[in-house]
Amino acid sequence: MQDLLSVVTLGSIYLLFALGMSLTWGTIDILNFSHGSIFMFSVFSGYLILEHTTLPFVPVLLIGIAVGAVMSLLVQVLAFEQIIRRARDKRTAEMQVLIGGIGIAIIPLAIAQHNTHSVPFGLRESSFTVHTWQVGDLRITNIAVITIVLAAILWAAMAFWLRRSRQGLALRAIGVDTEVASLMGVHRRRLALATMAVSGGLAGLAGILFTFGLGAITAESGDTLLVKAFACIILGGVGSMRGVAFGAYVLAACEVWVLTQTSGSWVEAVSFGLIFLVLLVRPTGVFGRKEVRRT
Amino acid sequence: MGRIFGRGTRRGAAAGVAAVALFALSACGGSGSGAGPAAGDELPKTIKVVSINPTTGVVAFAGNSANKGYQLAIKEINDTDFLEGSKLELDLKDTKSEPQTAAQEMTKATTGGDISAVFGSVSSNEAVAMSPLAEKQKMPTIYTQAGSDGVVVGDYTWRATPLMREYYTNLTKYLKDSGAKSIGIIYTEATPTLQDIGKNTLPGMAKDLGIEVTASVGTQATTQDFSAPISQILKSKPDIVSILLVGASNPTAMTQLRQAGYDGPVLGNSGASAGNLKPAGADADGMVWAADFNSAMSAESSQTFTKLYQDEYGEAPLNYAAEAYDAAWFLARSLKEAQSADRESIKDAMAKVAESSFDGALGTDLKWVDQDLVVPGVVIEYRDGGEHILYEGSGE
Repeated sequence: MQDLLSVVTLGSIYLLFALGMSLTWGTIDILNFSHGSIFMFSVFSGYLILEHTTLPFVPVLLIGIAVGAVMSLLVQVLAFEQIIRRARDKRTAEMQVLIGGIGIAIIPLAIAQHNTHSVPFGLRESSFTVHTWQVGDLRITNIAVITIVLAAILWAAMAFWLRRSRQGLALRAIGVDTEVASLMGVHRRRLALATMAVSGGLAGLAGILFTFGLGAITAESGDTLLVKAFACIILGGVGSMRGVAFGAYVLAACEVWVLTQTSGSWVEAVSFGLIFLVLLVRPTGVFGRKEVRRT
Repeated sequence: MGRIFGRGTRRGAAAGVAAVALFALSACGGSGSGAGPAAGDELPKTIKVVSINPTTGVVAFAGNSANKGYQLAIKEINDTDFLEGSKLELDLKDTKSEPQTAAQEMTKATTGGDISAVFGSVSSNEAVAMSPLAEKQKMPTIYTQAGSDGVVVGDYTWRATPLMREYYTNLTKYLKDSGAKSIGIIYTEATPTLQDIGKNTLPGMAKDLGIEVTASVGTQATTQDFSAPISQILKSKPDIVSILLVGASNPTAMTQLRQAGYDGPVLGNSGASAGNLKPAGADADGMVWAADFNSAMSAESSQTFTKLYQDEYGEAPLNYAAEAYDAAWFLARSLKEAQSADRESIKDAMAKVAESSFDGALGTDLKWVDQDLVVPGVVIEYRDGGEHILYEGSGE
């Protein structure tokens, strides 16, 4: 049971982080490789503020969400929109956005590294205290409960909104065919900005929860999660809400299983190896949508 | 004269006389030649050296500290005119905590004709990538901290730090006194040094003391959540736990270990120093590790270094800085012995200088053995937000 709890908790963190990335990639075709830096910098901002004042949990969470959303918007307006506007075709735009994201990620990373000298930082100055409850042989923390519940709620809300709302339909239409969606009256830019803001907010939220749970992160922590989020999205299928959840929890389960059943040396190899095998069978991911091509 | 190295310098002076005699004899056979600065019978006005260390990335805390030690020593060497008219000029190169970048920077240094010596990376992974290049290109290279095999691989590579496995055994007394009958070990696979401690050294110490290793789990460089390996370790109900990780992994593991209900002592390593445990707060209390330096060490030469460092930087020095300080002075004494900035001459002088013991930041009567520095070491406990010496040396 303790291992199962570890899987659910870890998977929930992966899910919160990957949700935003999957959303932008699956709808507005933005594979944002600065997502990891936004995740980290949201926490870093909270850390800086907490150096000067003590804040409870919710305000710290809101700071993370706000910083993440603003950073993501800035990246979209100042970088990605400019790249897309100038690109000669869609494929070129996608590649340049990818490279641009990697380049942009270096900026907040460098700022945080310079300020912290790459020493880990945390949110301990918050008035929020992590409590541990014992239920039989099971030990669970309040932050783990919050993380699991928020991940479930946000995932369900996002899936519902994308599937059932008019704006969600419009966003999915953009993901299928931007030009046709525009002809149908969908305002791509407005939706893209909103999507990027939501994505960044989710990254910030994930960062705050992650840091409260682990006690500390470094300037490089976001990069590590970026790789795992990418794996979750690919495994589950780009743009699929069910897929990203599936990918997050499967990856977490693989990692925990290998850690607890072996000496731990093979975590990366086994986890990503299994993902690779699945993709050989199903290249679009487990819940990936079929690709339609007109000849 | 260097304020710390007076004793060693007197021995160095005696060695210098012998070197002059040897030089006179070798002159009969013609002059030598080598890559790098041209050989000569005197030191040039400026001697260029490079520090290739991580100043960004996951081990930047160690690299940045080491660079401070190099800079402090070189400032002292230049200010005191130790090299009698010649000045050391230090260039800092960032490896970004990446072995491939370290190798690239080493290649640049070796092909740069004006570089006389290199201060190698604190990271074992990086050092292992650098050493073959150092030997092949005949670049005198002095490492600190990089405690794995494959670092000191020939005449040109030196390590101004003992292997961690040499001083880690200072924890034997602590382990014995704890009364523990079983131990659980979590170690990172990403660092050869800690992998060696986790797989070999610590189990060996435990075996010698009749302590059973009930569980051992290796983690990856990308592991950030340690709750699963901690859960696995604690299932075996060890009397004591060892956490052998680097950087941010230390406060995270300590936090999660306490959350999992373990409130006993924890054997760590010097990767937990440099302020890395601060985010864990009181959860970090009780971590104990062996190190080769602490600013509270009793040796006079160590205290002299600590004061110099505090006057310069306004903070207490870390072990990485102390190691680097001694490494830089070793190079300076070798240059003085060689009276040449030629790489081969420096290499030969290093071997000569290493025959004598010296007092340094890491302690007194320090000796070189097989191009590794041997030091007494110290055992440290983290408590109340700070590091405290439990005992020096083996404590016996």
